[in-house]
Amino acid sequence: MTETAGAEAIFEAMGAVVTRWTMGSTAAAAASFWRTELGDDPVEAELRLLALSGQFLGATVTAEPASALRVLPDIPPLALPTVAEALRPLVRRILAASKDAASRTELVHFLAARGWTTHPADWMPDASDEDAPDVYAAWRDWSAFTAAGATTQRQTNDQITVENWEDFWPAARKAALIGLRRRDPSAARALLEAKVGNENADARLRLVSLLSERLSDDDVAFLEGLVANDRAPKVKALATSMLARLGHGPAAGEDIAELAGFFSVKTKGLLRRSRVIDFQTPKTPARWQRRKALLDGTDLTSFAGALGLAPQDLIAAWDWKVDPAADAGLIKLIIETGTDAQLVQAAEIVSEHDATGLIVALAPRLAPTERAKFAVAGLRTHGFRFEIAQVIAGVAARLDDPLSAPAGAKLLAEIRRDDAKPSDHAEEFHALGVLASQAAAQQTSQRLTAAGLLQGDPRLDMLRLNAALDDQGEKP
Amino acid sequence: MTISACSGSSARGDIELSSCPDILPVLDSNWEAGVAIDLKAVEQLATDQSSLKAAAGLAKPANWSGVGGSPDGALIWGECAGSGANPYRVMADLRDLGNKCTCPSRKFPCKHVLGLLWLNAESIVPFAPADTPAWVSDWLGRRRGTSAAKPASAGAPTVDKDLRAARALEPEAPEDPKDAARREAQAAKRNEDTERAILDALDALEQWIGDQLRLGLSSFIDDATARCRRIAARLVDGKAAALASRIDELPSRLLALAAGDRPRGAVVELGKLVLLARAFRATPRDAEIRRAVATSETRETVLADPQSPRVNGHWEVLAEQVQTRRDGLVSQTTWLLNLAASGPRFAMLLDFFPASAGRRGSVFTSGERFRGELVFYPSQQPLRALLVRRDAADETLVSEWPAPGHTLSDALTRPLLAEPWMIELPLLLPQGRIARDDSGAAWWRAADGTATLPVAGSAEGLLTGTELTRTAAIWSGNRLTILAAQSPWGRIDGHD
Repeated sequence: MTETAGAEAIFEAMGAVVTRWTMGSTAAAAASFWRTELGDDPVEAELRLLALSGQFLGATVTAEPASALRVLPDIPPLALPTVAEALRPLVRRILAASKDAASRTELVHFLAARGWTTHPADWMPDASDEDAPDVYAAWRDWSAFTAAGATTQRQTNDQITVENWEDFWPAARKAALIGLRRRDPSAARALLEAKVGNENADARLRLVSLLSERLSDDDVAFLEGLVANDRAPKVKALATSMLARLGHGPAAGEDIAELAGFFSVKTKGLLRRSRVIDFQTPKTPARWQRRKALLDGTDLTSFAGALGLAPQDLIAAWDWKVDPAADAGLIKLIIETGTDAQLVQAAEIVSEHDATGLIVALAPRLAPTERAKFAVAGLRTHGFRFEIAQVIAGVAARLDDPLSAPAGAKLLAEIRRDDAKPSDHAEEFHALGVLASQAAAQQTSQRLTAAGLLQGDPRLDMLRLNAALDDQGEKP
Repeated sequence: MTISACSGSSARGDIELSSCPDILPVLDSNWEAGVAIDLKAVEQLATDQSSLKAAAGLAKPANWSGVGGSPDGALIWGECAGSGANPYRVMADLRDLGNKCTCPSRKFPCKHVLGLLWLNAESIVPFAPADTPAWVSDWLGRRRGTSAAKPASAGAPTVDKDLRAARALEPEAPEDPKDAARREAQAAKRNEDTERAILDALDALEQWIGDQLRLGLSSFIDDATARCRRIAARLVDGKAAALASRIDELPSRLLALAAGDRPRGAVVELGKLVLLARAFRATPRDAEIRRAVATSETRETVLADPQSPRVNGHWEVLAEQVQTRRDGLVSQTTWLLNLAASGPRFAMLLDFFPASAGRRGSVFTSGERFRGELVFYPSQQPLRALLVRRDAADETLVSEWPAPGHTLSDALTRPLLAEPWMIELPLLLPQGRIARDDSGAAWWRAADGTATLPVAGSAEGLLTGTELTRTAAIWSGNRLTILAAQSPWGRIDGHD
């Protein structure tokens, strides 16, 4: 190589060389500094030039960003610790085996209930993942501000106030409001009154729904204001439903009288006379639809009043499992417009009547202890499967010895069958793993392996995770 | 190309034998008596006599590592050295003789499964009770119901199979010196013919490259797939199979570049081909160059070659890349990081199997660390290797990743001095971070600001939201494919 040909000169010439080859012309003439190396044979010279140019361009030219680079902020640590490294493979396997987002959400809620969070390499919520536990708010907001192109994180450590409202990203704001509502319900409501009007309808709906925690008569004026003035029908409907829970249902109109016409109150029993609701079965599909529409449009207090009853008397007098559509309508009314006490009353009665579907519907509004109580009752008394019991109990239950329930005996019998398949009852084992307390999970694993399941059986993954996970969560 | 976290699934090769009525009574009686399995069951399980014969050869402790069993004795597993770069993972459920092996054999059960059962039946090695490895648990989770699968032998005409015959050593006939000389002469002639054919093919390749320059790289880029296919076919005929395969993949590498960068990319790619062709002409017997042009040595040749470096070390599995090639083969590349201070920093275990054989189980789990012995293919820069011994996983190994041995610019260019036709270069990068440009494209940027390299594909989640204290990646000359990284959050897998 000609000694004077420095990298700069070669680099300068490469533009012309590549351009010539791109067009189909010879290029040796454009690299005169390599004349000696290329030789006199024009065909050979082109190949030699190709070898030299290729090596030069491959080694010295790398792409450079066309614009300034943006470094994303660090993913923040969460308030709860990350699961131990040794348990991460198990968590990953359960996540991978989850059929849908709801199953993955259930696992992260389970972990949060036990005082743990996932490793961010294994699972992170999306910015819009409203179902993620609140402890992940910082990661949701991280996803939101990286998607928005922001580079600096906003303040989230202070208590939320009117002044610093804008400093919070949505998920952190929601988590802060929940905390404030628990500590000081009036302050949280006052903050919402001041700021909610500036948010869009979806955000308003999410924020107003936070009032359902510690809902009281102090909230009536604000909710009535929303019913009267909010632009979004779904926000109005939510506020109406909350008002109804507080006994401030809309004034009864002609519709409520029409609805009452589908039912009547009778008495039964000779010695202890009690009232019972009698169903006037609709005679045409149109009438069925009409009754449903009327039930959807009222509230529990108004409906009970139209029948001359107090809400709790209506729930007590209802003849369950006679008219499933009417049962579903009443349960919906109770969930949306009943007080917490009415909800528990309904759950107890429904549980006695062995109405599985109805108790599942009521469960999300019940307190964790109530949920666990009804799950145990279902398992012990009504022969519920673990999967149903787990839906009722949620992720915060810590049942002792669930395997001794009839569902456990059935499961043990099933795995001992000669024709048992390796994938049988995977959902039941998983639910058992979510329901059990840590000690129960350890004992259950041992009993199941003693009954013939392999220790490494992936159906036991949830039980193994539960058994190995120190329970640091708040006990309900 | 996909990179998985080495937890790939496979249904191929799973077999359930509870529908095999002539075996189950043997099993049941043994199970009751507390004996895992006897040789009669192994014999009945074999599809043919040749499988038994092969299994007899494998039923020796030297072929196996990581042998273990569940505490209840129902499950057994082990790793058997095969013809691939990785040992095969073999597992069996003694309750119903369901079994699985990661080898590509189409015989079910394969000789490795029979070998494992044989080891167990005759207690040739102890099956120490141990926690069930994740790869065995994964298989258990995927097992089909007992009625879903039929053993290969079910319904087939019964063929006499005999363990004693399988064990018998075939007497070796004394070799006729004339025959040996004739064979050697034939082999030399074959080598000469192959070399001639390759040189002719390389002539054709250089002429083809000259044609592409004359016709213009612009039209070459537009028609790269068809043109490369034609010259690749000519190279296959000329016994330059490795080069043919490389040229087959050239268009996809070119199209991965930005349109404006493709002429430069074409010059680099074609220039490397010229260099490789010239290198072969200069030293056609050089094993490393022959590997890049024609075919690789066999496993036996590498193991027998005293020049093959043997490295006994402590390895971390970085990632597994699975790629279906245009020739219908699937390549499974496992990247290992040497955690010792010296020796080859990376090892690449490469296996091929036909795409028609279906998905294949992973041999490793991403992030797994183990002690083992690797034999590298002889090379100026040893990289491709065979795993010849793997000790049981050692959870106590906590070595940090070593520091990069060279400056980044050295690491990017120095290997090209020895192997200028190289297309993929494994790198251990210093502290850095992923950043994004305005279009959202990801870039790896050194913490000291001295280098910025474009990252292939998208980088999401934790990879972009933390400092990367070390990053293991493949540099392809224009894009960085991240295999794994270390961070304050611990290890992060690279591209999914």
